[in-house]
Amino acid sequence: MIKTEGVTFKYNNEDTVFKFPDISLDKGQNLLILGKSGIGKTTLLHLLGGLLRPIDGSIEIHGVPVHSLSNKELDRFRGQNIGLVFQNNHAIQSLKVVENVKARLFFSKRTISQTVIMDLLEQLDILECKNKRVRELSEGQLQRLGIAMAMVHRPGIILADEPTSSLDDDNCNKVMQLLIEQAEINNANLIVITHDQRIKPVFKNKLEL
Amino acid sequence: MNIWKISIRNFRFKPLYTFLGILTLSVSIALLVGIQQMDKSFRNQLDNNLGEIDMVVGAKGSPLQLVLASVLHIDNPTGNIPFEEAKGLMRNPMIDKAVPISYGDNYKGYRIVGATHDFPLLYDAVIKEGRSMESPMEVVLGATVAEKFGLRIGDTFQSSHGLAETGGHEHAAPLTVVGIYEPTHKVMDRLIITGLETIWEVHHHEEESIDNEPESNDHHEENGIYENDEKESHHDIGHSQEITSLLVSFRNPIALLNTPRTINENTNMQAALPKFELERLYQFTGVGVKTVTWIAYAILVISCITIFISLYRMVRDRAFDLALMRSYGANRFQLVKMVAYEGFLITGSAFLIGVLLSQIGVYFIFEMITDQYKQTMPLQVEYQELIQTGGLVVLMVLLSMAFAIYPIIKMNISKILSHEK
Repeated sequence: MIKTEGVTFKYNNEDTVFKFPDISLDKGQNLLILGKSGIGKTTLLHLLGGLLRPIDGSIEIHGVPVHSLSNKELDRFRGQNIGLVFQNNHAIQSLKVVENVKARLFFSKRTISQTVIMDLLEQLDILECKNKRVRELSEGQLQRLGIAMAMVHRPGIILADEPTSSLDDDNCNKVMQLLIEQAEINNANLIVITHDQRIKPVFKNKLEL
Repeated sequence: MNIWKISIRNFRFKPLYTFLGILTLSVSIALLVGIQQMDKSFRNQLDNNLGEIDMVVGAKGSPLQLVLASVLHIDNPTGNIPFEEAKGLMRNPMIDKAVPISYGDNYKGYRIVGATHDFPLLYDAVIKEGRSMESPMEVVLGATVAEKFGLRIGDTFQSSHGLAETGGHEHAAPLTVVGIYEPTHKVMDRLIITGLETIWEVHHHEEESIDNEPESNDHHEENGIYENDEKESHHDIGHSQEITSLLVSFRNPIALLNTPRTINENTNMQAALPKFELERLYQFTGVGVKTVTWIAYAILVISCITIFISLYRMVRDRAFDLALMRSYGANRFQLVKMVAYEGFLITGSAFLIGVLLSQIGVYFIFEMITDQYKQTMPLQVEYQELIQTGGLVVLMVLLSMAFAIYPIIKMNISKILSHEK
């Protein structure tokens, strides 16, 4: 369950005040957030992911009032309940693929068995490059590793920031399919922000900012 | 997976930067440690070589030269003084030991010192094998000399005139080894000790006996070391009753204040205080040591700046990685730990390499010096100074790390993640 009410945000040193529409999602429901650049899509996503704090309003995720957690609690909450997928940067450069997944689990304070990790890498078709360095991966492999990093700790909510913008049609479809599939398997909410019109048909719930 | 493992991966991620950081830091540590150690060892060695000698009396000239020649045995003597006159001084009640020494010969560059039986007492030297010299032409070897030439009890050799290895003619009369001293790590080790009479006798035989000066033999009863050998020696040695210098140790340090002045003003001899002269000498050479020490500190500062830059670059270059880790649930403290561990890995390896480098360097320099000065010097590792240097390095590194780590604490995850590279 995700519920926001009257969420307002303002960056330090900036005058613009973002007022976001309320969101209410049941367990397992997905949401596509559309909007022009500069309108605050990423800001909303970061508010939901606990990377930013609203100056007003409330954000409740799975019954936890995210807006009122202490810094430490927020770090912990983020590590355990949120999975973030980005447009370009997907993993820690100095670590190998499998080390990245393990580091992610370490920071999330989750223990997941080796076989489950390998299964996930297999599902995402990156098992054969598990001992490769991040910079040795292809664009498609990188994006799939990004998905693995967002999923492996079984988060309740997956937030994707322009996950398909730099991909061709073929890869775009594949990635969206994987995201939706993985969210379903984990019984997680998937929230995607984008200005990519190609993925509009995939979602039932849409929110235009 | 844990913080340490990630730090080690980061440490190895850009080997060139890491290597450069370690290199500059380890060179400065090596310089600091090496200089401190050598400075300390030289000072100790100089002090050590004084033994119990508080004052030297010799012919007028440079006091420093007198000390270098008669105490450290590395320069030429200022000249000779009449033994009779020196004996007058030896009656001073303030004096604990007064040892007349006489020079003139060497064996392959090692000096032969004619002296009384009190001479080894100045250095706490103990006979390892054999016995002390009892009659002329008998010698006892310092440890280095014995080892270098493989000489044993009963061996004989011929001395050369003069103090340098080359140039002097060989004396005909052979010297016989009767004893060998234990190593003292002092100047004693590279000397060949014999009785005063040996020197007098050798040189007397070589001169044409033209002087028929009347002799006074009473000195044998008082101070000569061959008190029972009058018959043998009194005809020969009288004319050359000269010694190079007189080494004096006082009963009471108060004597240091007046005695030298009295001697300098009232006699034809000069008195020099080795401690004072060496301190003066040290002030000259100390300038070099100080300069190099400051250079080492400058390098230390530069290497800390290098570490700062490399850590700061790492924090900036990997800002996205660090922000990612925060999004994975890492808290600030974990990231600070991660960067700090990386700094410690660099510092730790630099310290190990630096100390190793300094020890290798100091070892070779000491080998060279030992060869040049013909004396073994104990290589002292000063743990206290090592800890001090280590503390200073850690402090400097901590400071530069704190500056580098500060941006992590101030990091705006959202901003970094939304401005993707």
